[in-house]
Amino acid sequence: MSTKKALFKYILSRLTLLPIMLWIISSLVFILLRIAPGDPVDAILGTRANEFARESLRIKLGLDKPLINQYIEYLNQLIHGNLGISLNTQEPVKVIISKALPASLELAIFSILIASLVGYLIGFLGAVKPESKIDFSGRIFGIATYALPPFWAAMLIQIIFAVFLGLLPIGGRLPPGAIPPPPITGFLLLDSILDKNVEIIFSSIQHLILPSVTLGILLSGIFSRALRLNLEEVLKKDYIEAAKSRGINNSRVLVKHALPNTLLPILTITGLTVSSLVGGALLIEITFSWPGIALGLQEAINQRDYPVVQGIVVVISSLVVMISVCIDIAIAYIDPRVSY
Amino acid sequence: MLKLNCIRNILKVSSILLILLQLSCSQYKKRENIIVASAGKIESLDPAQANTLRTLQILSALGDTLYKINKEGNLSPSLAKDLPKVSKNGLLIDIPLKENISFHDGSIFNAEAMAFSLNRFRKIGTLNYLLNDKIEDIEVKGKFLLRIKLKKPSSSLASLLTSVNLTPVSPDSYSNYKDSFNNKKFVGTGPYFLESFNSSQQIIKPFKNYWGEKPLNKGINFINYSNSSTLFGAIKTKEVDVLISNSIDDLQRLTLNNMAKKDQLKSGEGDPIEIGYITFKSNKLPLENKVVRKALSYTIDRELISQQVSFGTREPLRSIVPPQLHKKEFKPWPKYNPNTARSLLKTEGYCGTEILSIPLTFRSNVPADKLLALTWRDQIKRDLSDCLEITLNGIESTTVYKQLSEGAFEAVILDWTGAYPDPEAYLTPLLSCNELNNNSCLKGEAVFSGSFWGDKKLQELLEKSEEIDGENRLNNLIKVEKLAAQGGAYLPIWLVNPKAWSLKDISQPEFSKDGLIILKNLERD
Repeated sequence: MSTKKALFKYILSRLTLLPIMLWIISSLVFILLRIAPGDPVDAILGTRANEFARESLRIKLGLDKPLINQYIEYLNQLIHGNLGISLNTQEPVKVIISKALPASLELAIFSILIASLVGYLIGFLGAVKPESKIDFSGRIFGIATYALPPFWAAMLIQIIFAVFLGLLPIGGRLPPGAIPPPPITGFLLLDSILDKNVEIIFSSIQHLILPSVTLGILLSGIFSRALRLNLEEVLKKDYIEAAKSRGINNSRVLVKHALPNTLLPILTITGLTVSSLVGGALLIEITFSWPGIALGLQEAINQRDYPVVQGIVVVISSLVVMISVCIDIAIAYIDPRVSY
Repeated sequence: MLKLNCIRNILKVSSILLILLQLSCSQYKKRENIIVASAGKIESLDPAQANTLRTLQILSALGDTLYKINKEGNLSPSLAKDLPKVSKNGLLIDIPLKENISFHDGSIFNAEAMAFSLNRFRKIGTLNYLLNDKIEDIEVKGKFLLRIKLKKPSSSLASLLTSVNLTPVSPDSYSNYKDSFNNKKFVGTGPYFLESFNSSQQIIKPFKNYWGEKPLNKGINFINYSNSSTLFGAIKTKEVDVLISNSIDDLQRLTLNNMAKKDQLKSGEGDPIEIGYITFKSNKLPLENKVVRKALSYTIDRELISQQVSFGTREPLRSIVPPQLHKKEFKPWPKYNPNTARSLLKTEGYCGTEILSIPLTFRSNVPADKLLALTWRDQIKRDLSDCLEITLNGIESTTVYKQLSEGAFEAVILDWTGAYPDPEAYLTPLLSCNELNNNSCLKGEAVFSGSFWGDKKLQELLEKSEEIDGENRLNNLIKVEKLAAQGGAYLPIWLVNPKAWSLKDISQPEFSKDGLIILKNLERD
C-alpha cells in the first residue's frame, strides 16, 4: 500500500474513532460528575434553602429525573450538536465556550510562538556548541523553566513587570473601561485589527505580553532540551560526517542536513504542547485573570455546573484529537519513512 | 559591524514598540468613570438569583429596596413612604409607597410593580423560601398601597424587606421574565442604570430621573479579577480606583491598611456582617457530651488566632450575632482558659492516658480556614497536649456544604453572612429546629448547619421573637444566644468587616448597614 493510501486510511480510522472516543469521554465525565460529592442545587441555593425550594430547583433543572433519563437526554442533545444550558446562568454552553475558548487559544498561540522562538534558539545554539558557556546556560535555563512552578513564576513576573516596574498591565484582556471590539472571531487581537481600533490593538497586545511570555518561557525549556538532545544525536550520525568530509560548510550541514532530521520529534513535542494548551493553562489564566476556558472549567467544576463541564470537556477533547490528526498528517508529509 | 547594526535595529524597534504601548496605556488614565474592582464574576443581574456580594453590590446601585437600615441601625423607608403598619393580630402588613418614582424604562413604580417583583421572587427566587415561609399572599390595596398577608406573625419581615434580593424590577421590561431569570439586564428604580454588561465588566451610569439624592460620580465600571494578588496589584498600580475587600488575602489586607495609614490610599470600613465559627456535630460521641463541647469552648485563643491568621484584621468574636445588631456589648461564649478546659475534660475521663481526639475539617479552598485550623491545632498542642489533640482534614467547600447535613463532620470551620442585618438572620439559620429529640435536632436548619443541636426552650424563644418587636425582641434574641452558648454546638471565632480601599483622588468609601459600598457617594476629587 502506498504511503498516501496508508495515511488516508489512518486518518479515516482516527476520524471514525472520534465519535466513539467522544462518547466514552462524555459518558465518563457525566458519570464522574454525578459520583463526585457536591450538588449544583447547593451551589446555586446555598446550604440553607428548605427542602421545597431545593426540590423545586431540582425539577426546574431536570435533576429530579432518573440518571439514565438524564444521560439519554444528554447524549441526544450532544448528537444534535446541543451542549445544553448552564445550570447556573441559564446561558447556552455553546455561547460560554465560544467566549472563553478564543481567549485560551489566543494565549496558547502566542505562548507557543514565544516558546518556539526562545526554546529552539537556545537548544540550537547549545547543540551547535556543545559544552560551551551557551550550552551550559541553555541547559540550566531548560531545567529551571521546566522545574519552576507556573503559579510562582507567573506571580513573580506579574509583581516585577506590572506592580514594581509598572510596564505592563496586571491582568485581564483589556484595560478596565475599554470597550471591546464587536466579536467577529472571538480573538480579541484579530477582532480589534478587523475593527481597525488602534487603541484596542495596542491594549490587547499589552495585556497579552505578560501571560504569553510567562507561559512561553515556561514551555521553552522543554523545547530547548528536546531540540538540543535530538540535534546533538543527529550531528553524530554518519551522513553528517559524510557531508562534512565532502567539504560542505558547517552552517549548511546544520541547516540542510541536521535540522530537518530533528524535526520529527520536535514536531511531536510541539504538537503535544499545543494539544495540552487547547484546554487552557489554568494557573496562568488564574494569575493573570485571563478569561479563558480553563478558568471557566474550574468555575464550572466548583459550581457543579454539569452541562458546562461536560460541554467544555467534549469540545476540548475533539480539538485535541483533531490537532493530533493534523500533526500525524504533517509528520507523514515531512518524513516519508513514517508508515501507518 | 553587522552585530552592532543588528543591536541598533533591535533597540530602535523595541523603543518604538514601548512608546506606542505606553501611549496606548496613557489614554486610559484619563478616565471618567470610577473603576471598582473585586473578585468573582457576575453571572446574573437578576435580583431573584443574586447570591454573591459582588452581585448584591451592583444591584444596590441599580435598584432600591422598600426599606433601608439607617446609621442608627433602625428601619427607614426608601421606596416605602412610611414604616410598615402591622394589624393587631400581626398577620397583615400595610406598606404605603412613595409616588412619582419611575423605573429606568420610564414606567411608573407603584404597588402593582412592587407586588409583581415580590411575587416573581416568591416564584423563581433562589432564596424564595425566605419569603414563602412567612408570606401567605401579597395584595395591591391601592395604587400606592401594598398589603402583605402573613402565615404567622413575623417581626423579622420588615428587616427582610431591606434585602437587595427584593429590589423591585419594572413589570414592563420583565413581562417575558415572569417565570425566568433576566440575567443580563436590569431595569429598576436605582440611582444608576445599567449601560453595559458582561460577566467580567459591568458599566453603570447615573439615572437622570432618579427620585433621591443623585450620584456624585459620572458612572462606575465594575471589573473582576480572579485572584487576590492581581486585585492587590491593580490598586497599587492605580489600574483601578476602588478595591473591595472580598477575597483579598489577609496579608494583602494588612499591606493595604498600612498604605492607608501612610496616606497612600483611603480606606473605608463597614459594620461586620460575616462571622467565622466552628460547628460541632452534637448527635454523636464524643461531641454529644455537652461537657466536652463546653470544654472545647474554652480551648480557643481567639486573640492569638486573629493575630496569626489575619494579623489582627479579623476581630475575635464571642457571639454568633455581630455585636452591632444586638445594639449592646454581649459576649455569651467564654474566654480562652486552658485550665478550665482541662478540668472539664478531666471530669469526663480525659487527660493523661486518655486523650480526646477531634477531627477538624476545613475548606481547603479558603486560605484563612486552613491557617485557622493549623493555628488552633498547634495552640492545643502547646497548651493542652495532655488532654486534647486536633487532627486536620481539608475538603473543597462545595463538598463540605453537601455533606454538612449528612453529619459527615465532627467539627468543621464555616462562615455565615446574614441575608439582612438582623440577629434573626444569624440565629435562625444556625439554631432553628422543626423536630427535636431531646437536644438532638432531626429536622430543620440545625441539621443543615451540621450541628444537629436543638433546644426546646430556645426554639420557643425563637418563635416568640417573631411575635414581638423592639427592645423586647432584641432581649429575647439575646436569651436565645445565651442558650446557644450553653449548648456549645458552635464556637464563634471571628468577625470580618467589609472593607474597601480607594486611590487618593477618590473619596473615602462609605458602607451601608448591610455591608455594601454606597457607590453613589464615591467621588473623584
